[in-house]
Amino acid sequence: MNSYKHPYKDVDFVIRHLLNFDAFCEQNKIADMNSDFTAVILAEAAKFATHQLDPLNQKGDLEHPILKDGKVIETPQFAAAYQEYVAQGWASLSASEEYGGQGLANLLSVACNEIWQSANMAFSLCPLLGQGAITAIERHGSEYLKEQYLAKLISGEWTGTMNLTEAAAGTDLAAIKTQAVYDDGQYKISGQKIFITWGDHQMAENIVHLVLARLPDAPAGMKGISLFVVPKYLANEQGEYNIENDVRCLSLEHKLGIHGSPTCVMSYGDNDGAIGYLVGEEHCGIRYMFSMMNHARQGVGVQGLGVSERAYQAALDYACERIQGSDKAGNALKIVQFGDVRRMLMAMKSGAEAMRALCYYAGLEADREQASNSSDEKAQFAAQTAFLTPVVKGWSTELTQEMVSFAMQVHGGAGYIEETGVAQYVRDARILTIYEGTTGIQALDFTQRKTLLDNAAQAQVMMEKIAQTCALNELDENVKKALNSALADAKQGVEYLLENPSQASFVANYYLQMWGYTIAGWLMAKAHLAATKELQIGAGDNDYLTTKQVSCEFYCEHFLVRTQACLASIRAGGDSVMSLTEEQFFSHVN
Amino acid sequence: MSILVIAEHDNDTLKSATLNTVTAAAAIGGDVAVLVAGSDCQAVAQEAAKISGVSQVIVADNVAYANQLAENMQPLIVELAAGKTHILAPATTSGKNIMPGVAALLDVAQISEVTKIESADVFERPIYAGNALAKVQSLDSVKVLTVRTTAFEEAALEGSAAVEAHGAAHDAGKSSYIGEEVVESERPELTAAKVIISGGRGMGNGENFSILEAVADKLGAAVGASRAAVDAGFVSNDMQVGQTGKIVAPELYIAVGISGAIQHLAGMKDSKVIVAINKDDEAPIFSVADYGLVADLFEAVPEFESNL
Amino acid sequence: MKVLVTVKRVIDYNVKVRVKSDNSGVDLNNVKMAMNPFCEIAVEEAIRLKEAGIATEVVAVSVGEKSCQEQLRTALALGADRAIHVEAEQELESLNVAKLLAKVVEAEQPGIVILGKQAIDTDNNQTGQMLSALTGMAQGTFASNIEIKDDKALVTREVDGGLQTIELAMPIIATTDLRLNEPRYASLPNIMKAKRKPLETKTVEELGVTIKEHTKLLSVTPPEERQAGIKVADVAELVDKLKNEAKVIG
Repeated sequence: MNSYKHPYKDVDFVIRHLLNFDAFCEQNKIADMNSDFTAVILAEAAKFATHQLDPLNQKGDLEHPILKDGKVIETPQFAAAYQEYVAQGWASLSASEEYGGQGLANLLSVACNEIWQSANMAFSLCPLLGQGAITAIERHGSEYLKEQYLAKLISGEWTGTMNLTEAAAGTDLAAIKTQAVYDDGQYKISGQKIFITWGDHQMAENIVHLVLARLPDAPAGMKGISLFVVPKYLANEQGEYNIENDVRCLSLEHKLGIHGSPTCVMSYGDNDGAIGYLVGEEHCGIRYMFSMMNHARQGVGVQGLGVSERAYQAALDYACERIQGSDKAGNALKIVQFGDVRRMLMAMKSGAEAMRALCYYAGLEADREQASNSSDEKAQFAAQTAFLTPVVKGWSTELTQEMVSFAMQVHGGAGYIEETGVAQYVRDARILTIYEGTTGIQALDFTQRKTLLDNAAQAQVMMEKIAQTCALNELDENVKKALNSALADAKQGVEYLLENPSQASFVANYYLQMWGYTIAGWLMAKAHLAATKELQIGAGDNDYLTTKQVSCEFYCEHFLVRTQACLASIRAGGDSVMSLTEEQFFSHVN
Repeated sequence: MSILVIAEHDNDTLKSATLNTVTAAAAIGGDVAVLVAGSDCQAVAQEAAKISGVSQVIVADNVAYANQLAENMQPLIVELAAGKTHILAPATTSGKNIMPGVAALLDVAQISEVTKIESADVFERPIYAGNALAKVQSLDSVKVLTVRTTAFEEAALEGSAAVEAHGAAHDAGKSSYIGEEVVESERPELTAAKVIISGGRGMGNGENFSILEAVADKLGAAVGASRAAVDAGFVSNDMQVGQTGKIVAPELYIAVGISGAIQHLAGMKDSKVIVAINKDDEAPIFSVADYGLVADLFEAVPEFESNL
Repeated sequence: MKVLVTVKRVIDYNVKVRVKSDNSGVDLNNVKMAMNPFCEIAVEEAIRLKEAGIATEVVAVSVGEKSCQEQLRTALALGADRAIHVEAEQELESLNVAKLLAKVVEAEQPGIVILGKQAIDTDNNQTGQMLSALTGMAQGTFASNIEIKDDKALVTREVDGGLQTIELAMPIIATTDLRLNEPRYASLPNIMKAKRKPLETKTVEELGVTIKEHTKLLSVTPPEERQAGIKVADVAELVDKLKNEAKVIG
């Protein structure tokens, strides 16, 4: 197994030249922050990830967490790595300074997240989820909750979990049955939650569960669900958190991948009821959950980027070492010399770069929203972020499946054998299109809420941005042609959707993917422009910059063209999708 | 050309590194003198006098030099440097400790770990951990060099040089020797070992690894294993060399009963010298081995051990 | 007591070294650079001395072009209190570096100077020893343990075949070997704080050192590729080859 190398040059290029982070920092008077300093921070993060987290990745896969005497014991050495992660302050990166965070830009947190996810996805899920708990309490929690929980969660001394799903309430949260009762001045929670990532472990002093539950008098459906903080340990009279709450892990799921991350069935209130603290107001839990959605879903998109990059690095090393066959002169050939292997390596390279451009771009949009002083502008940035979120999640994680599959394909038979480690990436990556809302949910969100609901206003904003880039004289002719063509496809896709809203659910995925390829294509075109400009200035790394140009060109030729197929399927609408009866599906076997 | 070679010794015996260094000095050409600085080191001086190509042995016998502390050795060497064109020491921890300071006091450069003498003032030395070779010309009137001993043959012991005592004692009084702890016979760590002998599935079982251990004890080597041997339960996981085990690059890697799966090669292909012992002459390990021996390992390895 | 610790910017140890096609040197253009690993150990040791209450201040110093300020910032992020950058545009030989450092030592009067035993680019292993000779401070090279008690230091040294312990009169120069310690990672809050720690720049002229050229680099070439191996007939031939041709066994 090779070891993870931070793709620092591409990361730096995206932050410095594609996103022009320095200008953003200057405009918004963010003291002491710029691309140079970002590079310093990321280099340190990368060092830790390469030396401490990456080597534990396979260990987590092989030595699953176990449930022993009601406690989840995580993979050996994970606890030490987690404590190191906390001691180094990485958990506190973007959280507010008021509670001990470093208050750094969201873009930095995205860039760090890429590093953690590349090195060890199963491990890094733990802090990623903690982020959700922090955001929920920060935005919606009472002063008491903030005071009691925020500093510990931000420092990472305590971890956080999200408890949404139940056996009968997966995608449909309205079906949640977990009960909360107000009794003797306290909320008591009882019920069972499933799929709780890092629901229990021994890495931290306390675990803060955010639990969706229903109060007895609650209205039916989504508007009757409240959000509670349920800690694993409650405070005693001295304020020390050492009283066991009525919550435990019942069992661990056996999964295809991310074995190092315990997926728990959690039981609340087996005895008297688990003591919980209401977040915000009663019955508003779903709304609060949705307010964290952009962040969480984009986080999963970044996981896709991370694992794609990592799998690409493994494949690249293997392709440059593995010798198979020889040329006519009898010289041994490395498989990297074969055309089809090259195609896959280029696809992984340019695919990962396109995902990076998209994830980082969307990450900075959130910073722009945060930094803006005008409420109109803020609202516009928020709307663009909301528009981008399902694309970041749904497009990146779907493309990730292709990327990790290529990585295995390059390895040939050796890749299918667990020893090379690449099989783990394929298995780990598979969850990404499923959790935090399946691709189908992302596509629905994107067509219904993000396109039809605003009459394609945000789609229009994006199309205008792309058109502006297309209008630039200095843009490479071939790139321009490809981008123009994709833009035309996107336009027609939007028109079709607006004219045929009844077809939305049938074409949603094509519509989402078409936009993914187009927006990422736009960013790759801008990257091509920026690389060309840097080459003209002549002070940069020519080798990297020309490589970047080629990568952008490859993207145009091999990925951006996929909008054509997407559009064709969109136009076909739902006829063939829906015309069979359920019985007819069985006609070949009945 | 007048050359001074600093002898490496422990007051009782002359270390062979001195012989390699004299060979390097002879390649420069000219008069070669050897300095034996120590305490009660006359026997060493007599030995040094026998080195072929040495015309003079200077003995500085004083307690101040007993442990060749840099602070005391440096003024002595600087004193003896008068009239010399080259001062050489082996690039051992002792030579590396003393010589740079000598160079600094003479206001000249030191050229470290010389592997080849091109001429009296041009030398070759490895840089970037041997990933590049630099050819360096000295512009100084006195050339101070340390010599990588493995790059030069040992000089013969057929000479009879004059032995002269040098009386001056320099005790800087800044440093003193407290003690030494010779590394225990425990084997070195795989990743730090200069020699590694590894066994594969061909070893048959874990007990048979004892024949590798016998070789390891003689060579100060670490014992490794291939993934196949680990998977077969012969030895523990921490001995595994390969893509998923430890990546090693010792001076000498001896692969015994290892076929040479790509995962294994990935972990050891940067070794300086690779030896393969395997009875299957088609085993891929032979394609990376500098020296291949097609033989039954249960005969070859014990024979190898007894020949060391 | 003050600790002076030196830091060198070198090619990152993970990067594969490429020799320039004109054999003028190694291609360092746009290559990832990092702090020399032995210097990381030196910085770690300095910080530990401060944490142990033995040292009161850790000063990091680097000689080189402007970009080596990056490595000084890293040292500050790891825990050094301030940094001194001695600006030198050309690549300096060890003796010249030692002379510049001697001037810094003269000005700073540290109780201990800790240097990496060698840099992984030139592999010279000289600067610490030269600095010792130039300043008259005692040296403990290739240290695997450093113990300071009052005006004495006990240094355990990694010598061929074992460990040697020597006692030195303070102030001393120490050079680090791999087993001295395991360097820490810089924490995020410390990286942020490092931005505001003082970094002073000095020129060669200000230090009053005349740079002298002692050697000329004639060429840099890649080492020979691994030659196709041979099959030996028997054990005797194998032993003979290993002893006399490869010279890897005694």
